[in-house]
Amino acid sequence: MTIQNLFSLKYIAILFVSLVISNLTFAMEHNHSMHHQSTSLEVHNPWVRSAPPNAPMLGAFMQIKNNTNNTIKLLSAQAKGYQRVELHRTLNHGGMMKMLKQDFMPIEANNNLHLKPGSWHIMLIEPGSVPEEGDMVMIKLTFDNGFTQTIRAIVRKGKMMMNHHHAH
Amino acid sequence: MSKSTLLITVAFIVSIGVSVFSVNTDTDYGALKKQLKVSHILHKPDKKLPDFALIDHNEQPYNNAHLKDQWTLLTFIYTHCPDVCPTVLMDMASIKMGLESAELKVIPELVAITFDPKRDTPKVLKTYVTHFDKDFIGISGDQAQIDQLIKPFGTYYERLIEVNGESIIIPNGTKLPEGVKNYSINHTAWMYLLSPDGQIFAGFPTPHKPNAIAKDIELIINNY
Repeated sequence: MTIQNLFSLKYIAILFVSLVISNLTFAMEHNHSMHHQSTSLEVHNPWVRSAPPNAPMLGAFMQIKNNTNNTIKLLSAQAKGYQRVELHRTLNHGGMMKMLKQDFMPIEANNNLHLKPGSWHIMLIEPGSVPEEGDMVMIKLTFDNGFTQTIRAIVRKGKMMMNHHHAH
Repeated sequence: MSKSTLLITVAFIVSIGVSVFSVNTDTDYGALKKQLKVSHILHKPDKKLPDFALIDHNEQPYNNAHLKDQWTLLTFIYTHCPDVCPTVLMDMASIKMGLESAELKVIPELVAITFDPKRDTPKVLKTYVTHFDKDFIGISGDQAQIDQLIKPFGTYYERLIEVNGESIIIPNGTKLPEGVKNYSINHTAWMYLLSPDGQIFAGFPTPHKPNAIAKDIELIINNY
């Protein structure tokens, strides 16, 4: 088997699993918070990258869709069991990978903000205990339009998921 | 001599000439370079790595001798890195898996050297790097030695501390102010392939494509 074939198979398998998981997660989330979810904002495919058991930092990723005609800002994220939660963005400045703490994340009108490895992410700092693959991490998001939403992010491996849906 | 014998003789001489010529002129790996998709050949025969003496995650000495007689896929990390370093380590594990599945005879050893030995002790590194691949080797040691070693790789890092809400850059080689415990690190995130002579052979810039890198590594090892 060539490397190309192997990677293709692997990515198809990962994509399939992630699609199933994202649908399940979204369905659960939708039912869970439907009574206080407006249609102005939708959070899709939230996940936390699985990390070594002594990892001091974890990254949380998702897609946030803004269905309104105004830019909405994600002001903060909170998660129980972590010393701090911060909004960050990784930028590649001529090969230098810079991590920049953000005061907010802008989700443009009628657009998506894709939080993903190597880009926008929520940083979960100093976990009481590092969650394992398959665990759910509850993250409360607060936006500048007064809207808050608690999402359930699944802990899993992987990166670059659903890139073809990236609409930002 | 018949015409056909003459032709065969000429063809034979030409083919020997071509093969000798190509062997003699390809010491800069020009033909290999053309085939590589995502690699930079960094092979410089007259530029050797400096002597270094670091410590591996089992508290054993790690020095130039460890790079000899094997291929090594190496990068520089710090474990307080939430985004870039875990991605690089995961990609390196994927590359190794790809090479194993392609049944490449020689599989490079995976090595991650910390920028941040103060926080990344051998014990911390062992737990951290073996999460990505059980055979990963984490390297810690003296900060000054690490700062020296990164130079020929072209790797660079700087620490960032926050004072009154403002980020201040502390370049490598400069001591952190007293009492500062929280800092992050901006850094380059290339992977490097070291050849069995213990020298840097190729580099892979970010963003990494594990399948393309695995193919390039296969080409490099087969054409070395």
